[in-house]
Amino acid sequence: MSLVVLGLNHHSCPVSVRERFAFAEARVPAALQLLRQSSISDEVVILSTCNRVEIYAATSLEPSKAFAALKDFLVTCHDYRDPLTDEIYTLSEPQSLYHLFKVAAGLDSMVLGETEIFGQLKKAYNLALQNGHTGKELNKAFQRAFNVAKHIRSSTSIQRGSVSIGSVAVELAEKIFSQLSDRDVMVIGAGDTSEKTARALLSRGARGIIVTNRSHERAVLLAQDLGGRAIQFDQWAAEFEEVDIVISSTSAPHYILDRIKLEPLMKIRRNRPLLLIDIAVPRDIEPEVNFMENVFLYNIDDLQAIADDYLKQREEEVGRCEQIIREKAAGLLANPTSNYPRPEVRPAYNSR
Amino acid sequence: MSWFSDRHLFLLAVVVYGLSTTYSVFLWRKGFRRDDHVNYLLLLGAFSLHTSAMFLRGFRLNHCPVSNLYEATTFASWSIVATYLALGLWPRLRFLGAFASPVLFGIGVFALMPSLDAPPHAINSQVSSVWTSVHAALLSLAYGAFGLSSVAAVMYLTQEHNLKLHKLQAIFSLLPPIQRLEAVVGRLLLSGFVLLTVGLALGAFALAHMPHPQAYRGSPKIVWSAVVWLLYLSLIIMRWKFAQGGRRFALGAIGSFVFVLLTFWGTNALDALHNP
Repeated sequence: MSLVVLGLNHHSCPVSVRERFAFAEARVPAALQLLRQSSISDEVVILSTCNRVEIYAATSLEPSKAFAALKDFLVTCHDYRDPLTDEIYTLSEPQSLYHLFKVAAGLDSMVLGETEIFGQLKKAYNLALQNGHTGKELNKAFQRAFNVAKHIRSSTSIQRGSVSIGSVAVELAEKIFSQLSDRDVMVIGAGDTSEKTARALLSRGARGIIVTNRSHERAVLLAQDLGGRAIQFDQWAAEFEEVDIVISSTSAPHYILDRIKLEPLMKIRRNRPLLLIDIAVPRDIEPEVNFMENVFLYNIDDLQAIADDYLKQREEEVGRCEQIIREKAAGLLANPTSNYPRPEVRPAYNSR
Repeated sequence: MSWFSDRHLFLLAVVVYGLSTTYSVFLWRKGFRRDDHVNYLLLLGAFSLHTSAMFLRGFRLNHCPVSNLYEATTFASWSIVATYLALGLWPRLRFLGAFASPVLFGIGVFALMPSLDAPPHAINSQVSSVWTSVHAALLSLAYGAFGLSSVAAVMYLTQEHNLKLHKLQAIFSLLPPIQRLEAVVGRLLLSGFVLLTVGLALGAFALAHMPHPQAYRGSPKIVWSAVVWLLYLSLIIMRWKFAQGGRRFALGAIGSFVFVLLTFWGTNALDALHNP
């Protein structure tokens, strides 16, 4: 019996295709059952996330026959009738094992080295385990995959640093302020990125949040969602005395904050440090304000450059990670009879 | 081992300060990305040698070794490294060592100039008392605190510069947040000012008990001390009353200490009361 993988992901097809093959969580047990009953595979795990849909199967069929049957199952199951070219990939041993290990370690993720996939993979495995669809082969492969992912996380820098705008903003705030727990954040313009950035700051302990937007209703909704308070758009300057971090993302065609406006506000704030995060395009804040004392202005390009540099550092680690994966996979393939303890069956919601 | 004096021990300490300075260059080049244990240990070793040198001198003189320029200088630099070692217990403030070691090395080399280690002048013996020893010791500690505050101010300016220019080093380095650095500069400066005030008050008290104290009214060292006291007082007032923190405060702390460094020995040389 060997491990085969069939699936599609963000590398092989766009979201418009991926979404048509996605399995709703409630449908997964039935799909697993169908696959087992169809005698394509003896053991099976389905991983379905926003970036990938993959079937991991231990089968005694010839890989080519197994792939044809699995593809047919996937297409039929989702009633997909459009032509398919290279969207669906198939992997047999040892590539299937490498792939599983890479997925677990976040090396195959859209954001290199991210850890969310580890939890999603564990959840998918636990669901199959709970329903009795895994056996000796998949238990061994998945448990080794989880161990390898942990080993890679602890022994390489693949997960070091911030690769999103929100987390870079948090890091910057932590380089300026002694602590975030006594800092207030103002969000000017309730956009998606500003919301994520504000959430990241709140999750790291920022004290409070003030939201303002040209549409006051939207500001109220976001403020409620973030546990802050909303103010009218023409009042944001009056609240400036209290805030230390400003995230601006309005769609204004001109600067809403310039040096002339900020100078008196800084005096009111007694020149306390002020972090301005301008994620609007066109920019909301005049670049000149960065020359003012105790004012630190970062625009979307500055934040992206930092995130990209972290990503570059992660990419430099990929070679080391792949070497670890090859060694661990070779170890598993060389000793297929090694006994892994039967995993404990846990409820799926405990899997992360 | 009669040839081996406290000056030799101090020389060894200066050599280790030199090693620490060289190592600091690597830390700067690497962008302060790894914890700074090595430099901390180097400065701890130098501190042990430095302290032993001061103890030897103190036991030989049978009083606190602050009776000439060499001793006052070594005492001031000793207080810088002692305060650094205490602050360096917080991992992120440990990098202060990379900024402090060039200052310690420079002061150490200067202190080793033979002419600074002269025996006390007759007039000094005349005013010698416990009060004058405490006066000199407190002032040395005050200058040590000012020295370290200026070192922290350089660290502040480095990090502020990196943040302002969006340098990646600002994020990747393990330097503390600039607000904490500003607080460290402020606290060291305030501690130094309190020590300076008490030290100068004790000096005035000792002077008042000398015969003809009015003869020293226009003494360059006394005028200079009043100027230094006013300089630091104005810095403190500017910070707390007029919210002049950040870069200007850091530049003020560095400028004031540079002024002290450049004029301390000169005013001593001009002054009969303090010149050995």
